Amino acid sequence: MTAPSSSPVRAPAWSLPRSAIWLWATQGLIGTLFWGAVLAAALLFLPTDEAPFSVLPWAGPTALGLYAVASIGLQPVIRHRVHRWEVTGEAVYALTGWLTRTWTLVPIARIQTVDVTRGVLQQLYGLASVAVLTASSKGTVQVPHLPQGVAEAVAADLARRAEHVRDEAT
Amino acid sequence: MTDAGSPPRRISPLVVLVHTVTFRQARQALGIALPIGAAVGFDGGTTTVVVLAVAVTLASLLASGLSWWRFAYVDGPASVVVTRGLLARSTRTVPRDRIRGVEVETPLLHRLLGLVRVRIDAAAGSATGQDEEVVLDGVRRAEGERLRAGLLVRRAPGPGDDATVPGPPEPAAPPAEEVLARFDRRWLLYAPLVGGYLAVPVAALGALLRLLDELPRSVRPEIDGPEVTGPAAAAVAVVVVLVLLAVGSIVGAAVVNWGFRLVRRGGSLVAVRGLLTRRHTELEVDRIRGVTVTAGLGMRWVRAARVSALVTGLGAAQRRGQLLPLGPRDLAEELAGRLADDPGPLRAHPAAARRRRLARAVTPGLVVAGAGAVATALAGWWPLLVAGAALAVLGVPLGLGRYAALGHAAGPRSFAVRGGWLVQERAVLQKRAVVGWQVRQSPFQRRAGVATVVACVGAGSGGYAAVDVAADDVVPFTRAASGTWAGALEI
Repeated sequence: MTAPSSSPVRAPAWSLPRSAIWLWATQGLIGTLFWGAVLAAALLFLPTDEAPFSVLPWAGPTALGLYAVASIGLQPVIRHRVHRWEVTGEAVYALTGWLTRTWTLVPIARIQTVDVTRGVLQQLYGLASVAVLTASSKGTVQVPHLPQGVAEAVAADLARRAEHVRDEAT
Repeated sequence: MTDAGSPPRRISPLVVLVHTVTFRQARQALGIALPIGAAVGFDGGTTTVVVLAVAVTLASLLASGLSWWRFAYVDGPASVVVTRGLLARSTRTVPRDRIRGVEVETPLLHRLLGLVRVRIDAAAGSATGQDEEVVLDGVRRAEGERLRAGLLVRRAPGPGDDATVPGPPEPAAPPAEEVLARFDRRWLLYAPLVGGYLAVPVAALGALLRLLDELPRSVRPEIDGPEVTGPAAAAVAVVVVLVLLAVGSIVGAAVVNWGFRLVRRGGSLVAVRGLLTRRHTELEVDRIRGVTVTAGLGMRWVRAARVSALVTGLGAAQRRGQLLPLGPRDLAEELAGRLADDPGPLRAHPAAARRRRLARAVTPGLVVAGAGAVATALAGWWPLLVAGAALAVLGVPLGLGRYAALGHAAGPRSFAVRGGWLVQERAVLQKRAVVGWQVRQSPFQRRAGVATVVACVGAGSGGYAAVDVAADDVVPFTRAASGTWAGALEI
């Protein structure tokens, strides 16, 4: 679990589906391929036998390998262990992040809009993201990569409840 | 349109004159006109210049006239509707209950012709872009006063409507007024220590130089640079520049803040200021969620501060919400206390926060010193090492200063957070202002047992952070500083 003792606040109750790991890994793979292409282009077109670029043939692939391990192997698993979310009777609560963790809590009474987005990759895995927006630009709860049905049900439920309990929403 | 009953109103035709003189519409075409002119050449002598000037003026007159002709507005009982656009007509409807502030601005030329510019601030945050205000440029002064008084008195519509009394806005003094702050000329002496005002003479100089640069060479006067030799001359030059900067900043502050007055009139706060362009800003007290008291490094030195109101949904809040642009700290604190309850003395943050501030302030110096040590060892080049060491030493007071600035407190109805060193900001917010909490913890913060708590607020900058609060204090603070819903954070 996520560092039980030093955590400043309670962790939300629910975790994300396992397919989120695959989605993050796919994103990491795409990133790795992109940087690999950049590196290949650099090795092809830059004069690698001259002083500043002579480190490129060994430093480039090493960095790329580390990046691949971190972004495909480590980051998705860590993210999946960290990310949590919860809808309580009065609030929406989410924990996101990978190295730096961010807990965001928004009372349902102050919700202004609820967005559900489905990216191209997310559609491959049947996932969707929920964003709960308030009057504050900082007070946005992001719950990435929920199963599509769950995301839509949560959004509908939150919108309905926000309508009921809205006081001054600012 | 929702308000079919009210007849559409027009802005004063005199504004055409103002815009012609200032080339307001024509300025947009300048980007095209200048290169064309440069390509064709300005070498035709006086006739060309005169023809050009007349043509530009006529074009400007035409453009101003057209835009005046196609502009109309309606201020109905439920909303304000503005219609404009030459070919592509645009209609903007602002519901009255979304109006968050009204500002009446009187630039010099407007004042000569008895006109004002009214800016109506609509509820922001709808992500439609930066253009969230309605500008009525060039209504008669009495009409401006009527709009200013009428648009905000939604809750008590009766007495406010009689504000159609014509006359200059400054001396209009209905009995229910309470002056909260009044400009003192001595405050101008703070100006040289305030970054924003110091930038005024620099910007003016920059504009002047650019203008000189764009003038044709034949017109430019031939001035030989003064011959500067010796340290005495350099010292004189430095002193002259410093004096000019100080004088320029004082003049700049005077122009912006002259005759500043903050008045509470019924349910709204009215701030008036400006020497050439007179600004008249009105804020609804009910929408004020808190205040910030900010003071830069130089301002703290002379115990000066500025106060801004945090108003929900107010765009350009930095300028609009300003309640005390520049004044002594005691007055600033008193003013802040009137608008938001003082939550009591701030609690200092834990020792781990001091260590973190120190580490952050000293690290850049140490890195430079490390590079310098390598350079010294390899090439015998020592200046970098000395510079790095000096930076690291200077980082100590910086880190301690940054730590001393940190603090948070929660009172019965409000709470406060403070931070920042170059510009120190203390935000005092009402509990009802909080629309969410964000708690952040980096790996380093996790090791140190601290976290950053951000109160999300639908006003001002959107979030006010207490940096490096002890992890155990996070839950008590959030509970004390907002409603029961924050209990969801409890472990």
